[in-house]
Amino acid sequence: MQILRIKGQWYPQGSAAKLVATLLCQSDRYTLEIEDGQSLYGMVSSIEVSSRLGNIERKLTFDDGSVFATNNNDAVDALIKPLGNSSGFLHSLESKLSWVAVALAVTVFVAYGFFKWGVPWASTQIAHALPHKTNELIAANTLEFLDKYMFEESELGAQQQEQIRNHFFSHLVPLEDDKEITYTLHFRAWNDGGVKIPNAFALPSGDIILTDQFVELSQIQGEMDSVLLHEMGHVVHRHSLQRVIQATFVTAAVMLIAGDTSGIADMGLGLGSLLISSNYSRGHETEADEYAFKKMLMAKIDPNHFATIMARMTDYMEVEMGREEDEQEQAKDQTDEEDKLLDYLSTHPSTEQRIKQAQRYSDCFKQGLTVCEAVN
Amino acid sequence: MKTLRFDGEGFEYFKIWIVNILLTIVTLGLYYPWAKVRHLRYFYGNTILEERNFDYHATGKQIFMGYLIAIGLLIVYVVIQQISPIGGLLVMIALFVGIPWIIWRSMMFGMRMTSFSNVRFSFDGKLGQAYINFFLLPLLMLICVYGLPLLAIALPAYSAYMSAARSSALLEGATPPVDDGMGTGTIIAAVLGAIVCIVLAIYLFGLIKKRNTMYMINGTQYGQGRFAAELKTAVFVKILLKTIGLSFLMVIVLIVGVAIIASFTYGLGALQRTLDGMGDPSGFQGLIASGAVFLVALLYLGFLFGGFLLAAYSQTRQRNYIVNNTMLDNKIALASTLKARTLAWIMVTNILLIIVTLGFGMPWAKVRMTKYIVSNTQVDTEVGIDSYVTQQQQYQSSLGDQIGDAFDVDVGLAI
Repeated sequence: MQILRIKGQWYPQGSAAKLVATLLCQSDRYTLEIEDGQSLYGMVSSIEVSSRLGNIERKLTFDDGSVFATNNNDAVDALIKPLGNSSGFLHSLESKLSWVAVALAVTVFVAYGFFKWGVPWASTQIAHALPHKTNELIAANTLEFLDKYMFEESELGAQQQEQIRNHFFSHLVPLEDDKEITYTLHFRAWNDGGVKIPNAFALPSGDIILTDQFVELSQIQGEMDSVLLHEMGHVVHRHSLQRVIQATFVTAAVMLIAGDTSGIADMGLGLGSLLISSNYSRGHETEADEYAFKKMLMAKIDPNHFATIMARMTDYMEVEMGREEDEQEQAKDQTDEEDKLLDYLSTHPSTEQRIKQAQRYSDCFKQGLTVCEAVN
Repeated sequence: MKTLRFDGEGFEYFKIWIVNILLTIVTLGLYYPWAKVRHLRYFYGNTILEERNFDYHATGKQIFMGYLIAIGLLIVYVVIQQISPIGGLLVMIALFVGIPWIIWRSMMFGMRMTSFSNVRFSFDGKLGQAYINFFLLPLLMLICVYGLPLLAIALPAYSAYMSAARSSALLEGATPPVDDGMGTGTIIAAVLGAIVCIVLAIYLFGLIKKRNTMYMINGTQYGQGRFAAELKTAVFVKILLKTIGLSFLMVIVLIVGVAIIASFTYGLGALQRTLDGMGDPSGFQGLIASGAVFLVALLYLGFLFGGFLLAAYSQTRQRNYIVNNTMLDNKIALASTLKARTLAWIMVTNILLIIVTLGFGMPWAKVRMTKYIVSNTQVDTEVGIDSYVTQQQQYQSSLGDQIGDAFDVDVGLAI
């Protein structure tokens, strides 16, 4: 009969006193010989064995509560094998490289899938399932805040404002089926450091804000319509609410993952979160663009107007910010890679892309179509 | 003095870590308590002193319930914070009030579940003391720090009221209220108040650190022996002041350095415009697409790494001081020999590793950091460990432990 010898240390129950000991096992019985002359006997099946974990000391606890500790994990595994102990399951996963590779692959896939598809999909579902009142809730006080810190009173004439409003409500609002939304148009002047900024914003409640400079830059009704429809798209798709839900998911996930890192990777996670939320934001902008293009086709407005006003606003801003000279100087230094990198951080898709998309829709328009199939 | 040793290996831990993640994903997160136990067993079990090791005895099953509750609370917290800032504030307040209790429970459970050389630790600090140390005093410090702007608003307002009262009193012919130069008086009072607040805040910071550390250490026992730390507030205040001083230095060096680089490359004007453009919400490409972004990135990186250096300095000084002044049973001394530069270096290279490997390098980073800290900890074992015996104690539930973990309240052994 083969005798299994395992060298190790023995501790009386609850005591730190360490004694050298040898465990001898023959079939289903064991004998523990301790250096001070003591001996313990018993059935191997009565020993409580700790689960294997890497190569840390294995602890065998006897009936009397004393503990035998050894680094000879392989011998202990051989000892408990005939007993059919499954305590080695986790260790076998951790030590077989094939399983490790599987674990790695699954983790990468799930992590990627979660952030790329899982969160956006879940957020969309939840955002649309919630009552419309939620949208108004998250927009509460935003306009007051903006008026306090960013905007000034509009300098547009009352008649012009009236005109724009009438057109909006009679021509654009009817294009949307969701009748629960109450739109309100607000006109504001936005001066930032001496520069009059052209822009349009939509709050989830249906409040749409147009800046004076934007109104001034729009030369054709179609151009203003395209941007108004884009803003309506944000409201209809409940993008603000989606953002809140997405942020919740991402924050919770990041907090759970980072729980273990004692602050070391916080920076990396911060950057990662930024990349993720920028990506979601670009997705929303594209969705709002698509909404505008589709409605424009329905209303027989040329989507190319969107491209025109986008380009005009970009040019205007570049001139205003004094970029013109620098741009020409550095045009040679700029490579495509740099552009792409900055794209990942941007909250909007590049203006180029948006203009290209508008032109694709415009092609359909020129063919007299009201629905554009040729677009991806 | 015998030095502790950490026997864990990066790749070995990576395999354990990745399988933990796999199982956590597959079980939609339910496996997490077991993963945590496995993680702690690995790190404790590989920490060795004189061929005796530490161990962690909690089971996944024990901490599962607390974990579920903690997750529920976490979700509520995150959701409320997103929807309503006032609601988020209320939750934060509730958290502040609950934290001392959580720390208290967490210490008790954590210590009880930890053993060295087969003998368990324990913790018997009082809950009342926990409230003073983790709630009352921090609240006081918060008031001092946020009292500054309040003071800045209140005093000029008072001054305005006084001068209005004075002029109306003059008109009516009554004796004007005594104000003896309220204008300059107000300013002096405001400045004095600000200085007092700052000094008080700094002092309280040191006091809180000292009291919290002594609370946790002096309440901890190993078997029948008790730990005792002799700490002085002055030392913590000194470390804080030095850290603040170093941070000012760092800011100056960085700004001057980047400005110099800027004037030799893209020009200060371009840098200024890029900084202004950074706040633009509608992402006009033209602004961002400029080489001056490189300078802003340099500035940002400089602050980042400088921050690590400062953190490392502060942490190593504090840890060394605390451990060097802690004893077990008045017979067994402890020592710590961490170096700020080395720690900072490890922190920085770790985070680079984690970013470059998209997070998968974390196990190596953790093992590296642990190895450094453990191998710079010493214990005087001449007296001998053999006489220590686990004390009988009531089993404590793990609720506080799990809630603490969910909100990253880390109060384990200062290994």
